[in-house]
Amino acid sequence: MLLCQAPLSTALTLEKIFSFQKVRPPRACAKCLSQFKPLLDCQTCRVCGRRAVDLSDDTCLDCHKWRQQFPYPFVNQALFEYNAAMKDFMKQYKFLGDYRLRAVFNQLVTARLKQSGRLIVTVPIHPNTFEERGFNQVLGLCEGVQTVSCLKTCQITKHTRQSEKDRAARLQTAQPFEFVEPAGSLIRGKAIIIVDDVYTTGTTIRHAASLLYQAGANSVTGLTLAR
Amino acid sequence: MTADCHFGRQSSSRVGAWCARCHTKLNPAVAQLPDNQYYCYACIQMGRMDTLHRLVTVAEPNQFAKIVKPMSWQGQLTNLQQQCADQVVKIFDQRQRHLLWAVTGAGKTEMLFPAIAWAVSQGLRVGIASPRVDVCIELFPRIKAAFEQVSCILLHGKADQPYQYCQITVCTTHQLLRFYHAFDVMVIDEVDVFPFAGNQMLHFAVQNAIKPGGGILYLTATPDEALMRQIRQKKLSVSYLPIRYHGFLLPTVKIIKSRHLKQKIDQKQLPQSVLRMIIKLLQQRQRFLLFVPRIKDLTLVSEALNRAAITGRFLTVYSADPKRIEKVAAMRDQTVDFLITTTILERGVTFPGIDVIVLKADDEIFSASALVQIAGRVGRNSARPTGRVLFYCERRTKTIRSCDNQIRQMNRKATRLK
Ligand SMILES: [Zn+2]
Ligand SMILES: [Zn+2]
Ligand SMILES: [Zn+2]
Repeated sequence: MLLCQAPLSTALTLEKIFSFQKVRPPRACAKCLSQFKPLLDCQTCRVCGRRAVDLSDDTCLDCHKWRQQFPYPFVNQALFEYNAAMKDFMKQYKFLGDYRLRAVFNQLVTARLKQSGRLIVTVPIHPNTFEERGFNQVLGLCEGVQTVSCLKTCQITKHTRQSEKDRAARLQTAQPFEFVEPAGSLIRGKAIIIVDDVYTTGTTIRHAASLLYQAGANSVTGLTLAR
Repeated sequence: MTADCHFGRQSSSRVGAWCARCHTKLNPAVAQLPDNQYYCYACIQMGRMDTLHRLVTVAEPNQFAKIVKPMSWQGQLTNLQQQCADQVVKIFDQRQRHLLWAVTGAGKTEMLFPAIAWAVSQGLRVGIASPRVDVCIELFPRIKAAFEQVSCILLHGKADQPYQYCQITVCTTHQLLRFYHAFDVMVIDEVDVFPFAGNQMLHFAVQNAIKPGGGILYLTATPDEALMRQIRQKKLSVSYLPIRYHGFLLPTVKIIKSRHLKQKIDQKQLPQSVLRMIIKLLQQRQRFLLFVPRIKDLTLVSEALNRAAITGRFLTVYSADPKRIEKVAAMRDQTVDFLITTTILERGVTFPGIDVIVLKADDEIFSASALVQIAGRVGRNSARPTGRVLFYCERRTKTIRSCDNQIRQMNRKATRLK
C-alpha cells in the first residue's frame, strides 16, 4: 500500500478475486486516508477555501486583504487541510520524490477538474526543480485530464524556495511566471481553472491568475490539493 | 573512508528494471518518471535512488585502534549461556552462517558479548541489525555500555545522529542497504519478524552488507518456516538455548475454549469465565497484559469491562498510539493494573512478574511465533519465574497447537540439559 506498510493482502478478499474484475490495488488504506481532513463538506472561506474560523464571516482576514490588493475576481477551492498528515504527504511526494504517491489524490483531483468544465492550466515548476525531481507534482495530480501548459517560470527568478520565504516577502515577490506566447488564442474568452498543490499565502496562484486574465481569460478560479 | 554507499550526481547508462542499491526487481511502468528516468520505489525511504545516481563504494580498510580488552561488561554468564557464547565465538572465527534458537528470556544479548569482544580484539567490524527499530533502540545503550572503549553507532530511519565510521554498528535491517561488503561478522536479531521475514530486499541488504565469506549469526526465539526449511536442508546450522537465564522452564499455555467469544466481544460482552479470571487476578494484585487481535477490540473489550463494573485500573495501547510510550511506562510504574494491547507488546518489553491473557487466540492475526512471544512475557525474572498464560478461543487452531508444541519441545530439551 502507498503511505504505509500495511500489507496489500488484507484488501484482496476472495470475493474480489473471483469477481474477475481487474483488481486495482487500493492507493492507500482507510486508516491513512482518515488522517487527511477534507474541506469540501465543511464551512470554508469562500475566497481561499480554508476552514472557516469565524462562522459569521464568509471571507477570512487574509482574503479581505486580497480584495484590496488583487484587481481580478478569483476564488480558490481546496480539497484538504494542510495538516500534519498532508505536510508529510508533500514531503514524501515532492521532496523525497516518490512519484507513485500521485495516485493517492489523482482521482479526486481529476474528478473535480472534469466537473468544473473549465480549461485546465497548471502552475509551472522551475526547470531546475523538474530536473532534480524528474516530475512536476501538479501534473502528476492531474494525470488523466487534458491540461494546457501556457505558463512557465521566468529564468531569472528562483532566489529562494517558496517554503523558505515569509509571507510578507512573498506578497512583494515580482511575477515569477511568464506567458508562453503561442498559447494566447487558447486562453482568450475562456473559463479557466488553475491547479496547484498547496495554497499557502495565495500569492503564487494569483500571479498565475493575473497572467491569464491579462491574456484575455474570461474567468479564472483555482483548485489546490491543500490549504 | 568507509565502505558505505555514497551518492553522486554523475550520469549513468544503467537503465534497467533492477535497483542497484536494494536489488528489487522494479515494475518499469511504476518506476518510470516523466523525464524518462527510472527510480526505485522500494528503498526510497533511504533517499531516492534513480538512474541519475550512481553508487560509489570504497573498500573496507578495518582501520580500528587496537583494543586489547574491549569489554567493560562485568556480568556473569550462566554455564549454559557461557557454552552458547563460546559457540558464537567459534561461529564468528570460522565465519559460519548459524541460527541460535534461544527461548524468550534466555539473556541472548549478554551471550553475544564475548563474541563481540573477540571480534573487536581481532580488529573486525561488527554489525548488529534487527528489523524492528524499537529492538535496535533498546539494544544500543546495552552494547555501548558493555563496550565503553569501542566506537559504536546506532542507525535507523528516525535517528538524527550523523553517520560515522565505527567498529560496532547497531541498525535496522533497512539501513544495511547503505553498506557494501562492510562487516566481517554480523548478528541479525529477531529474524522472524516483519518486515524482514520473507522480504527479498532486506535479505539482499544483509548479503550485500557483509563481506564475502563473512560470518553471520541469526537470533530468534521463534524461527519461521523459511528458517526451519534452511535448517532441514542443512543450509543453516542451528543450536538451541532452551533454558532461561534463571534456569526455569517456560510457562506452558492453558487453552480455554469459550463459545461465541467473538460474537460476545462484538456485543461488548465478555464470557463469565474471563470476567471471573480478571476479578481473581485483580484481587490477588496480580498484574497482567490482556492481548486482543485487533485495534477495534480494544474499545469493545474496555467497554465490556466497564459494563461489568471491573474496578481495576487499565489502559489500551496499539502500535500507532501517540501515547504508547507513556502507557507502557504507566504499566511499568504500576500506576495501572493491566494493559489491553494488540500484538505490539508481543516482544521487546519486559514487565516483571506479570501474567498474560489472550482473547480470541484463534484469530488469524496471531501467528504461532506471536503466540510464543506473548507467552514469553511471563516468568521472566527470577523472583517469579512462573505465571499464567491463558489463551481464550473458540477453536484450538493449528497455530495455537503449534505454539503449544514449540514451548513443550523447548521445555523437553531443557529438561534433558538439567
Ligand atoms: Zn495506510
Ligand atoms: Zn480566505
Ligand atoms: Zn532500491
